Amino acid sequence: MGDVLKLILKRLGYGLLTLLVVSILIFFAVELLPGDTAQAILGQAATPETVAALRTQLGLDQPAPIRYLSWLSHAVVGDFGVSAVSGTPVVQVIGGRFINTLFLASYAAVIAVPLAIILGVIVALLRNSVFDRVANVLTLTSISSPEFFLGYILILFFAVNIPAFPAIASLSGSLSFPELLHRTFLPALTLVLVVTAHMMRMTRAAIINLLASPYIEMARLKGVPPWKVIVKHALPNAWAPIINVVALNLAYLITGVVLVEVVFVYPGIGQALVDAVSKRDFPVVQAASLIFAATFILLNLTADVGAILTNPRLRHPK
Amino acid sequence: MNEFVIAYFAALIIASCLAAYFKYTRAFMLVFSLTLVSIIVGIIGGTSALWTITIFAGLLALAAALSYAFREFLIQISRPGLAKELRTAPLTAAFGMFIIFTYAIAGVFAPWIAPHGQAEVIAGAFAPADANMLLGADQLGRDMFSRLIYGARNSVGLALVATIGAFALGAVSGLFAAVKGGWFDQAMGRSADIIMSVPSLIFALLMLSIFGTNLSIIVIVVAIIYSPRVFRLTRAVAGNIVVMDYIEAAKLRGEGDWYLIRKEILPNCTAPLIAEFGLEFCFVFLLIAGLSFLGLGIQPPTADWGSMVRENATLISFGDITPLIPAAAIALLTVAINFVVDWMLFRSSGLKEQ
Amino acid sequence: MTRFAKKDILLEIRDLQIQGYTDETWIDIIKGVDLTLHRGEVLGLIGESGAGKSTIGAAAMGYARDGTRISGGSIEFDGIELTNASQAEKRALRGSRIAYVAQSAAASFNPAHKIIDQHTEAPVHYRIQKRLEAQEDAMELYERLRLPNPQEIGFRYPHQVSGGQLQRAMTAMAMACRPDLIIFDEPTTALDVTTQIEVLAAIRDIVDQFNTAAIYITHDLAVVAQMADTIKVLLKGEEVEEASTKEMLDNPQEDYTKSLWAVRSFKRPQKSRPTDGTPPIIAVKNVDAAYPGGAKVLDDVSFDIYPGMTVAVVGESGSGKSTTARCITGLLPPLKGEILFKGDPMPAKYKDRSLDQLRQAQMIYQMADTALNPKVRISEIIGRPAQFYSGLKGTALKQRVDELLDLIELEPSKYYDRYPPELSGGQKQRIGIARALAAEPEFIICDEVTSALDQLVAEGILKLLDRLQRDLGLAYMFITHDLATVRSIADEVVVMQHGKVVEQGPKEEMFTPPHHPYTDLLLSSVPEMDPEWLTTVLEERGVDNIGDAADV
Repeated sequence: MGDVLKLILKRLGYGLLTLLVVSILIFFAVELLPGDTAQAILGQAATPETVAALRTQLGLDQPAPIRYLSWLSHAVVGDFGVSAVSGTPVVQVIGGRFINTLFLASYAAVIAVPLAIILGVIVALLRNSVFDRVANVLTLTSISSPEFFLGYILILFFAVNIPAFPAIASLSGSLSFPELLHRTFLPALTLVLVVTAHMMRMTRAAIINLLASPYIEMARLKGVPPWKVIVKHALPNAWAPIINVVALNLAYLITGVVLVEVVFVYPGIGQALVDAVSKRDFPVVQAASLIFAATFILLNLTADVGAILTNPRLRHPK
Repeated sequence: MNEFVIAYFAALIIASCLAAYFKYTRAFMLVFSLTLVSIIVGIIGGTSALWTITIFAGLLALAAALSYAFREFLIQISRPGLAKELRTAPLTAAFGMFIIFTYAIAGVFAPWIAPHGQAEVIAGAFAPADANMLLGADQLGRDMFSRLIYGARNSVGLALVATIGAFALGAVSGLFAAVKGGWFDQAMGRSADIIMSVPSLIFALLMLSIFGTNLSIIVIVVAIIYSPRVFRLTRAVAGNIVVMDYIEAAKLRGEGDWYLIRKEILPNCTAPLIAEFGLEFCFVFLLIAGLSFLGLGIQPPTADWGSMVRENATLISFGDITPLIPAAAIALLTVAINFVVDWMLFRSSGLKEQ
Repeated sequence: MTRFAKKDILLEIRDLQIQGYTDETWIDIIKGVDLTLHRGEVLGLIGESGAGKSTIGAAAMGYARDGTRISGGSIEFDGIELTNASQAEKRALRGSRIAYVAQSAAASFNPAHKIIDQHTEAPVHYRIQKRLEAQEDAMELYERLRLPNPQEIGFRYPHQVSGGQLQRAMTAMAMACRPDLIIFDEPTTALDVTTQIEVLAAIRDIVDQFNTAAIYITHDLAVVAQMADTIKVLLKGEEVEEASTKEMLDNPQEDYTKSLWAVRSFKRPQKSRPTDGTPPIIAVKNVDAAYPGGAKVLDDVSFDIYPGMTVAVVGESGSGKSTTARCITGLLPPLKGEILFKGDPMPAKYKDRSLDQLRQAQMIYQMADTALNPKVRISEIIGRPAQFYSGLKGTALKQRVDELLDLIELEPSKYYDRYPPELSGGQKQRIGIARALAAEPEFIICDEVTSALDQLVAEGILKLLDRLQRDLGLAYMFITHDLATVRSIADEVVVMQHGKVVEQGPKEEMFTPPHHPYTDLLLSSVPEMDPEWLTTVLEERGVDNIGDAADV
């Protein structure tokens, strides 16, 4: 077990390091702003006094590495400073929204992951059949469509033509859980469509890849029935690629969620980020970027660790 | 029961009987399943649902016929070697090529095709379609159709430039990393990991919020964001080639890195690289469309599909599909490219098995 | 053929035709082969690559691999016609009555399950044995196959067991349901000679003990001579001839078969070192080497190669033969020691060597497929070194390329503009030789140049190399694991094991006793055409020792 632990620790360390570098990148990218950050935020019309006040407020009078360290040490405990536009703490701006985004992404994932894996296994079994061809064309179409296209089509059909779901997924007021699911159904469905297609294609490819292995032929020549070949001989070896596929697509959900939130006016962190970008509210941009990047890295890390844990060669060393 | 419904089912049943009689099993299964589905759909959705199916099937048949003809056209005009390859193209790939061809024409000849200028205000806001304006006017009274045509030039052109940038950056560093190995390879690999560990849209938003939404900034930012993907693929493909004995032979002969890349490696990785270029273009195109949709891409009054969707989005709540047309234009091009790439990848993997 | 009564026919294949899918069309790969197998009979199927041996083996189970289809003929197994049996019927036979042993055991065991779980899968599935009985039975089979720790070895995962042991475990797995027929598809091809012998012995014994019929597929005549009662020779999907093993060896009828038998006869006179004080063209002096971050793979290796001579470096996989070559060419700088060229030390790294030093040491590779760039014309592959080192251009270059093509006996006008994938294996290897010659070297490293080729083609390459050596005065370092090749072409032999030189000297001396114990093991493990060879060797060594000898 020692080797596996070492590998996992190494992977964790590497993930942490990546996160650190990304945080440096995010922090110092803002430093690259031409001229002065405070000036850029306030615009040319600002008086020198207000600029100076903002500089002190943002701590801009200290050298950059010091400011980075203080920013990071605060960020680690969830304190991202104060919004440059509204003056409220960044946590208040994005905290609740982050929960909303997580809810939407999980909603989509809970539907998409099992669906995609089951469908992926089925098309792999029926490869080169009519069903597989049709699935291929449909999934290709789905991944080729921008999220906002799918979102608006769903609005057109299920909110306007057949008013079954609300076109705007606002979360105002106290909602019961079923109401919540109903309100957020269309944005979740949009994400499901995109992610399922991706995952299905990748699952299919991973399984077909495995089916070419000599040990699968051996199993067939041993008289093992087809379903058992898949379940007992292919699947145990397919976990690593499948976990990878899932993590990759959950990470993809994070990017997709930004556009979908805008389409459905959903109060998530993605929308907050877009607003902050257009208002040049850098503390919020930095915080949101860091949260997105951290989630992304965490998911990839989970995939790698999962792949290590399911690899028989690593689990049972010589 | 009206005449249409009777004719509809009669046609389907006769077609399935004919298919069964002439032993076209696949066609029979397809047509007869459609018949069964139609019965259910007809009961639930009534005649209009059947009409939708008919129109959809008709469009599909039209697209198939068009693709078939276009493939034949390409076979006729290309040289024998290429023609043989083209014969193996499935209809989806031929359809993809036709779409790409059409977009290229629209983009290159936009000023001649479009009846009006892209920034020209010629009617009231959201004026309905008439003989002058095929698709009506947008929120400022500009001709939607003309803007759509110009969009082919602006949106596709920008994505193309950014893709070429990403490709040049990624492919060159990937090839050198494969040949050089050692610390250079390691450093490039790690940097690629870092860039890829930030979601692409988030990265773009961060950069654009800092540097502003200038066209050249968009190109550079997008090229940097997507170059690691190209780097990884090129590194992997070239990595499989550099371990070949013919590379060792050339190295031992004393050949330089540039000769190795140009003469020995590149000719062996063109197929996957071309396919990757197509995929990469789709990613870049979708990212830029997303940015434009968020109002952070190409700035008005330049016509751009992503921002056209956003500007006219309010129409959707009235059941008007106009804002979906530019979105569909985006989807159609990416679908088309994916169809072609799918075929190319299938061919290259098919050849590998031999 | 008299041993087997007609009523005991187990498998009868009539006019079998199989097609393969290439270039969008179906092409015949088996063109009407007949085969009759009696209960308890072992049939050897031999032929060169592309003869269709393995395809016929799979077809005997009613199985067509992806991209192939059975297009005609009949396959009757114990009264059941397999060509029109349902999938379920065929499946019911596989594993229970017909079993399969694949070439690569390492790839054919599922890495996710323990060996014994895979072993018991078939008997439990067919309800022949309960799980625990099957487990007991597996251990007994392991013991019969002389696997070490038979009680315990099954509970390991495949990657925890060595190749030779896995191959025996797979044979045990095939025996699990006591099938009537086992298909052995080149079961020892991937193994070293010393490992091969124990697997051969184990297979032969167990097939004998259970009186199982078998189809033994191989390209190695000497191996099949040990195993088979009957031999069938195939060529390009057609049968050449079939006869009992003894008859086939003593008195082959067809020209093709005779030529296969004759291959091992090529020999050339042994040369000895020059006595006039000429320094060796390459001298390896006390070289130690290791791959970055790895353990030492070469330990104090020294030997000399004199002008115009062939030195064969012999050893099993992992003995360090190829690593030595990498040290000589400068791809792997040694940790200690040096390489002398005509008495002068050469820089350790190839990048530090002058063009002239690079030119002097050329290589010919084992796999012609990976040694030639598939996207470069023959004229450029051969022309580039001439252009690079001698600065030839235009007609002078073309003339030189023509000259080189003549030298390797390929028609210049026909091959000048071709690409490597359009050539056969032997032709590709010739192009590889021409590329080495184009640099006008005095010394060439031949790395297993014949081991990927069919025997007849390999023979041609050896003859060509010999002629070139005489005409151009070349020195060869001949890396090989095949002692037959050594016998035919070497002047001196260096035997390597675990990164050390265990013995070296002139060939005649090396092949006459007394030997170093390892050389002895190596020499005696090489199968010979005599059908009694395996029995004799086993008697000499004692049954219990073979396993130990190979698993050192």
